[in-house]
Amino acid sequence: MDLLDVIDGVQSVADGVLFGATYALLGIGFTLIFGVMHKINLAFAAASVGAAYASLLILAGVRAPPALVFVAAAACGGGIGALVYLVGFRFIPLANPLATLMSTVGILLLIDEIIVHTTQGVPLNYPALFSDVIIRAGPFSLRGDLMFVFALGCVCMALLTALLYCTRLGLATRAVSQQPVAAELCGISITNVNVLTFVITGVVGGLAGAMIGAAIGILSPLLSLPLTIKGLIVTVIGGLGSIPGAVIAGLLVGGLENLFQFLRGVSERDLYVMLLLFVFLVFRPRGLSARPPGHA
Amino acid sequence: MDFYLGLIQIIGVHTLLGLSAYCVLQTGQVSLAQAGFFAIGAYVAGMLTVLAGWPIMPALVVAAIVAGAMACAVGFPALRVRGLMLVVATIAFGEAVRLFFFNFTYQLERGGFRIGPHGGEGFRQIRYFPEHGWSTLEVMLFIWVVVVLVMAAIWWMDRSRAGAVLRAVGEDEVAAQSSGINVTAVKVFAMTVGGVIAGIGGGLFAHYTTHIEHVQFGVVLATFAVAYPILGGLSSVFGTLLAVIFVQGFLIEGLRFMGDWRNLLFGALIVLAMNVRPRGLIDAATIAAIRRIVRGKEHAGA
Repeated sequence: MDLLDVIDGVQSVADGVLFGATYALLGIGFTLIFGVMHKINLAFAAASVGAAYASLLILAGVRAPPALVFVAAAACGGGIGALVYLVGFRFIPLANPLATLMSTVGILLLIDEIIVHTTQGVPLNYPALFSDVIIRAGPFSLRGDLMFVFALGCVCMALLTALLYCTRLGLATRAVSQQPVAAELCGISITNVNVLTFVITGVVGGLAGAMIGAAIGILSPLLSLPLTIKGLIVTVIGGLGSIPGAVIAGLLVGGLENLFQFLRGVSERDLYVMLLLFVFLVFRPRGLSARPPGHA
Repeated sequence: MDFYLGLIQIIGVHTLLGLSAYCVLQTGQVSLAQAGFFAIGAYVAGMLTVLAGWPIMPALVVAAIVAGAMACAVGFPALRVRGLMLVVATIAFGEAVRLFFFNFTYQLERGGFRIGPHGGEGFRQIRYFPEHGWSTLEVMLFIWVVVVLVMAAIWWMDRSRAGAVLRAVGEDEVAAQSSGINVTAVKVFAMTVGGVIAGIGGGLFAHYTTHIEHVQFGVVLATFAVAYPILGGLSSVFGTLLAVIFVQGFLIEGLRFMGDWRNLLFGALIVLAMNVRPRGLIDAATIAAIRRIVRGKEHAGA
């Protein structure tokens, strides 16, 4: 392997880490819902892609600068999040984990099919911001659109952390996630917190969907299943319920994914990501942010 | 006529797939790896009849054993984790199996043709049934004999001590453990049984479709596998059968006249079903009600 290959390899890892910000956001979404409700929302990634599509629809209707597509996606994401809660969780007894799992699968299929139905299954172009900006650092170049996606992801994570740890709403959310009964006794409405969690994760998901659209350049309903799997893998590698863990795991998976693709080709890429997950499950089943036993 | 026979074949094979997930769900675990075991069964059985020239029965047995052994091997590390972690681990396993077959090429030269699995193009010409002169009806009957045998075995298992142990683990792990049940052994056992059944189902699937490829064994199939028993209810094997007939017969084939809208309705109906009957179509209360009716008739007759 000569120097040129090494440079190419490092370049692809760097691109992957930048793109990994989207995985990190998806992981945060899964992890937040799991933290608050102890439920998996398998429809989350599909809802994110759906929000990105909805933002395109809005932009097609209203004449607005393409930068607003992110705002629109976030807003749509919040709305879809509330809807997912209403349809998939509100009226189903929470003591039965299988029922909500199945209902979110139903929503996943439904969202995919709505997308296919409205777009006739044709992938749509997604506006990218700063795609003409390329920052050169020695032999490496950083793509402007990926940099923007990464920066947006970081801002989003910082805001979310602030929301969780510096506001009353965040306090209530954390209280419900730790002790739902005690939280309810303190006058916190669990339903309200759950709805708000779905709206917040929906906003995050909508942004992630828009970022994915901007980074790849197109949107396709075929994205939602692989993104669901990647998001879940990030959640598990990062450790359930841990936001910093999800961030690190997202960037890690993004970077390694591109490294595997560079080394072994695109058809074997995901095989190694799965193997990475198994390595974590065997040696560190609680994920990156595992606390010593007794603190869990 | 052949269309309906084909539909009945599909229902049979999907019932096997659903039953394999049913076994694992009994212990309270959601395994999305069933499509992976199904794929292993399909490829192993197909390769044995096509490349090695075996008859169908031993090929199915070997497919079942290989898939079961794989399930047992996966069970040990995967069942250290629970809930969401297990869902993710099994999705990842299923996807890893699919990607393995996506990259798997093993072909032999036979009579001027290259036969065997060929990576992304899949495994064509698994023509055991046509070559041996089986009619569609015979294939359908063969599949259903297997389905009935497997269903009878699970029905019996449900009422035996083994079923009680599985349910005990599913209802409350801690309680089961404190009554002296080896929880890990039970879970791995359920996983292995599930793997064996999925392997048989996969072997049958490969032979009636005659062409398998990796995309057929994706996450969608895995979710279908767990969807059947959850939709049908975990109280009885017949719930799974009913759910398969409902999904494959009614939602997928029966609503074909609706064209594109069918797929939309599919997801919506699953959501609706879970909202209306969170414990499945046939739950414990339904079974009790049926028993009461049957018993009432006996009394009336006596």
